[in-house]
Amino acid sequence: MKKILLLGMTILLLSSCGDVFDIHPYDVNVNGETGINAKQMAKIESQFANKTTLRVAVISDTHLWLSDARDQIADVNSRNVDFVIHCGDLTDTGTCKEFEWSRDILMNLNCPFVALIGNHDFLGTGDQTYEVMYGKMNFSFIAGRVKFLCINTNATEYDYLAAIPDFDYMEEEMVKDVEKFDRTIILMHSAPYSDQFNNNVCKAFRRYLDFFPGLICCVYGHNHRDKVSDLYNDGLMFYGIDCAQHRNYRIFTITPTGYDVEKIDF
Amino acid sequence: MLLFAINVMADDSIDIRQSAYDQRMQRKQNAWLSLIPTHFVVQNAGNMGVLSAGIGWSYGKRRQWETDLLFGYIPKHDSSRGKFTTTVKGNYIPWDIDLSSISARVPKQRWYFEPLTTSLYLNTVYGSEFWKSQPGRYPDKYYEFMSTKFRLNLAIGQRITFKIPENKRKRHSRMSLFYEVGTCDLYIRSMFQSSEVKLKDILGLSIGLKFFTL
Repeated sequence: MKKILLLGMTILLLSSCGDVFDIHPYDVNVNGETGINAKQMAKIESQFANKTTLRVAVISDTHLWLSDARDQIADVNSRNVDFVIHCGDLTDTGTCKEFEWSRDILMNLNCPFVALIGNHDFLGTGDQTYEVMYGKMNFSFIAGRVKFLCINTNATEYDYLAAIPDFDYMEEEMVKDVEKFDRTIILMHSAPYSDQFNNNVCKAFRRYLDFFPGLICCVYGHNHRDKVSDLYNDGLMFYGIDCAQHRNYRIFTITPTGYDVEKIDF
Repeated sequence: MLLFAINVMADDSIDIRQSAYDQRMQRKQNAWLSLIPTHFVVQNAGNMGVLSAGIGWSYGKRRQWETDLLFGYIPKHDSSRGKFTTTVKGNYIPWDIDLSSISARVPKQRWYFEPLTTSLYLNTVYGSEFWKSQPGRYPDKYYEFMSTKFRLNLAIGQRITFKIPENKRKRHSRMSLFYEVGTCDLYIRSMFQSSEVKLKDILGLSIGLKFFTL
């Protein structure tokens, strides 16, 4: 019995060293970089606090199109952008390995980046892995006096039982650091009226957006389609970002007086 | 001595003329006896948890088939809690080589090498985060490609078996040390989805022991 115990201990020790041993696809045993969003937001806020014109690349829906994603990152790197925002679906099935694969590609960016959570990133324990690797599902940062508000809109993943989108969080963000920003951009994975949004609150959500100072536009992913639309027919523009497989994304240039959007094919 | 011999003969004759009831009982007992596990298994990793242990049955002419039932534990790591798993595993071991046929220094019928083991196993992980098939809240065929609860795994490996000399046997008749290299359905799928994912990225090592009692 003692021998068996000793052997068990040895095996346990062996398992704890390195990623030679696969414990489980949903073990939330993250190797490498964690807490990415907090670190990257600190970089963005310190580097671009006083920048008057911002060039921001928005990419989305990497899933398992990793070679396309690698080309995409190389393309972004050649276009002199200030930072990158990923609109979610970093994985296809939410396994820890997939999170590591897409992260390791994103880490090749030569500028700071943050990533939102997509509905696929919730599968299994994916949401827990996201929180370890990237951070909170609702977050915001300020660059060049513009607040970038990133909110989790994947209500279907919670069976609509959670506060998604979180209106309390939005209320806090309307007034938080209000002296540091004059304009706001809203980013999310799934847009209102999509299969992930809590569509009972689409109009309420739209009303809340009006409380944000200098609302510029909304940006989302999820649909795997590049689309520009006036979703509510009230002048507020919604930009849908395509998936990595379709090999295009968008760059937003925010100037003191307005903004410009270009679609980049790679 | 003569009396003893007669006695034995008498016993034998009774055996031959076993009643239908006795025969039936014998068959029944044999059937139930075949349910007694033939071995115990302990192994690490293999997408079943940090450590799994269980029982198994070996069968076939050379006992080349095995079915194992394993219970594993996934530590908490950075998740909300530790998780338990259950695995049903089928093994096929096509060859075994008596090492005495390779080296004269090895005693006969003592050490065996099994150059290939093949395994197919189904793992279940317990917890409300995992579903068998997509819950009703999703539109039809939303995540049609998968279940987050069940994982089908494939593995190949090798074994070395030590047959314990009969006079030294206490609990076990033989012991095997094995390793396996395997992967699961989700990872195989990811390889098909992306050329970026290489075989070495999805293979995992597992080391284990088997203690045979029967």
